[in-house]
Amino acid sequence: MPNKILVANRGEIAVRIIRAAKELGIPVVAVHSTADAGALHVKLADEAICIGGPQSKESYLNMTAVLSAAIATGCNAIHPGYGFLSENARFAEMVESCNLAFIGPASKVIGMMGDKVAARRIAQENGIPVAPGSEGILEDVEAGLRFARRIGYPVMIKAANGGGGRGIAVVSDDEAFARTFARTSLEAESSFGDKSLYVEKYLERPRHIEVQILADKFGNVVHLGERDCSIQRRNQKVVEESPAANLSDVLRKKLGAAAVKLAKAVGYTNAGTMEFLVDADGEFYFIEMNTRIQVEHPVTEWVTGIDLVKEQIRIAYGNELSFRQPDVKTSGHAIECRICAEDAMNDFKPAPGTITGVIFPGGPGVRVDTHVFAGYVIPPYYDSLLAKLIVFAPTRKDAIRKMRTALEQFVIDGIKNNVEYLYLIMHDPDYVKGQIDTGFIPRFQLTIGGERYARFAE
Amino acid sequence: MPDSLNERKERIAKFKKTILNKDDSARSVDIPEGLFVKCEACGNAVYQRVLDQNDGICPNCGYHFKIGARRRIALIVDPGTFFERDAGIASVNPLGMPDYDEKLLAGAKASGMPEAFLSGTAKIAGRPVAIGVLDSAFMMGSMGSAVGEKVTRLIEAATVQRLPLILFSASGGARMQEGILSLMQMAKTSGALSRFRDAGLLYISVLTNPTTGGVAASFASLGDINIAEKSSLIGFAGPRVIKQTIRQELPEGFQTEQFQLKHGAVDLVASRKEMRVLIARLLQFHPEVRA
Repeated sequence: MPNKILVANRGEIAVRIIRAAKELGIPVVAVHSTADAGALHVKLADEAICIGGPQSKESYLNMTAVLSAAIATGCNAIHPGYGFLSENARFAEMVESCNLAFIGPASKVIGMMGDKVAARRIAQENGIPVAPGSEGILEDVEAGLRFARRIGYPVMIKAANGGGGRGIAVVSDDEAFARTFARTSLEAESSFGDKSLYVEKYLERPRHIEVQILADKFGNVVHLGERDCSIQRRNQKVVEESPAANLSDVLRKKLGAAAVKLAKAVGYTNAGTMEFLVDADGEFYFIEMNTRIQVEHPVTEWVTGIDLVKEQIRIAYGNELSFRQPDVKTSGHAIECRICAEDAMNDFKPAPGTITGVIFPGGPGVRVDTHVFAGYVIPPYYDSLLAKLIVFAPTRKDAIRKMRTALEQFVIDGIKNNVEYLYLIMHDPDYVKGQIDTGFIPRFQLTIGGERYARFAE
Repeated sequence: MPDSLNERKERIAKFKKTILNKDDSARSVDIPEGLFVKCEACGNAVYQRVLDQNDGICPNCGYHFKIGARRRIALIVDPGTFFERDAGIASVNPLGMPDYDEKLLAGAKASGMPEAFLSGTAKIAGRPVAIGVLDSAFMMGSMGSAVGEKVTRLIEAATVQRLPLILFSASGGARMQEGILSLMQMAKTSGALSRFRDAGLLYISVLTNPTTGGVAASFASLGDINIAEKSSLIGFAGPRVIKQTIRQELPEGFQTEQFQLKHGAVDLVASRKEMRVLIARLLQFHPEVRA
């Protein structure tokens, strides 16, 4: 049976996967909602199937519709991209059962790592440090309170099945804990279908550093270095880079080794990411694993020269990794900015609408991953990511300068977007010095960045 | 869409100026004086060295810039054949006109000559000639007693030596600072030319930019052959004076070389590039005549 891939996603990542498949000579089928009939991924794919209405649950989250489309078009693999069904163990299991390749890890691994509490336990069993927290799901608010007092405030209340920045709350006293616990539980139930919560110590000013791994079905696991994703707004990443600035080689090696060890422990296959928090003392704590390709994968691609999406496809089709850990060499510095349709002056409200014109930057060391074009109508149903702007240069300083220039030349007309906000981040003295942690954006908003933005936006 | 980029550029500039306090305003580099000259006709800045290599002709529009007398000689005569005469004759201030002495000094400095007229003998394509050139850099090539005397002496020498005479004019006319003494030079030079003609000799007059006033009204217009160089204003009074006097609009191209050709005031119009060959050929057409 010849290879053929269905891309169960939309937006820039669908475009990215379609390109990778085509470069490998594999025909590719797009699926789309009624709202995405004119989308770029639909036009670029060899075939396109409409799988339902505009709401995600009617289409991109509609497992049987996606699966039917794959079978009807003769596909033998499904790439889930990120978000939507990418970390849905049930969906992966359905795909496996239909004798299709799921371009990602085995369903049982997705299930295992998707359970944050279980993932923490596995990490601990393998000697990988985790942030102090409840060892399992909290029975009730009383148990939670007892635990929070023991590890000390502030603490994070997290949904066991959460992700994407939702189902997380930070509280700093008993009263707030009691109040927030019930609300978070409700939110978890409505968003993820599971109201289970756990509690974790909230670290002050940690850095969010994650390690990319690739694992084939022959037991070969390599890591491709780290990414610093500390620039986050409400747990949504805004700017990512690789390598992490001001990170000692010793720590870098430890993180890589920990990631590989954990992947091997769970029998992980395909591309995945171990997320860690690193505190000011250089201690690191495993938080969770993402069992899919990530939005920020291009920064790793650029410093390693490895095409992650193509590797995902090769691995899923049963190929052995063509390189081993010593073959992975990183060089230079890559930064990614997420260009979103959101109103930075108005609490980052999504700003759907019609794009009347676009100008993208270019030149050496500049990459734009996007699905938008002049005349594109941004549907209000999905996330606000319009494009990823990635730059590569020999040093971090050069990369920042390249990013500034690229942002200057990045124009999207017709809708509000965050290009100028990102431009200000690229001029923030702390950012330039590499003094970044997950508190960067809140501080930036309150201080120099907020003021600059207000004046800039006049 | 380019408008959006303009808008972005303005905002970036504002950001750099008001927020980063970065002054990006660039200053032009200092370039040496006289590196470029502006063409009077087309307005383009012309690189001086290119202009010099092109005999003072604008490479863009073909306009003929004014050139100095020595330069002119070099363009016309055979190399190394020019011998200057009457080099010691220079103006004094016979009427005691204020500022005239200063003007004479300034003229000498600007032209590199003691007077506005350079004369001597030379060969053109092997043919001996008497040649004289007015230099507009010296008080607009105006004719006072010294210029008139030098012109007359050249004519007389040509008469005696039976040489063809070639005069290049570039003049604002009679030199006001010497009053009636200047006007008398018109008659003096014309008289000398009359005797030169009686001797049956050839006089080629080349009118260059500008040839006006008392010079246009005397020896410059008396050639056996009158040639106008391109880009030349030729006339008696200037267009502004005429316009104010007759209270009429002047015709288009009034007093240009083409206008003068059309109206019979000159016989030929030639470019600077073809001037030497043209004069050489005219000399060939007029072999030496024995008295």
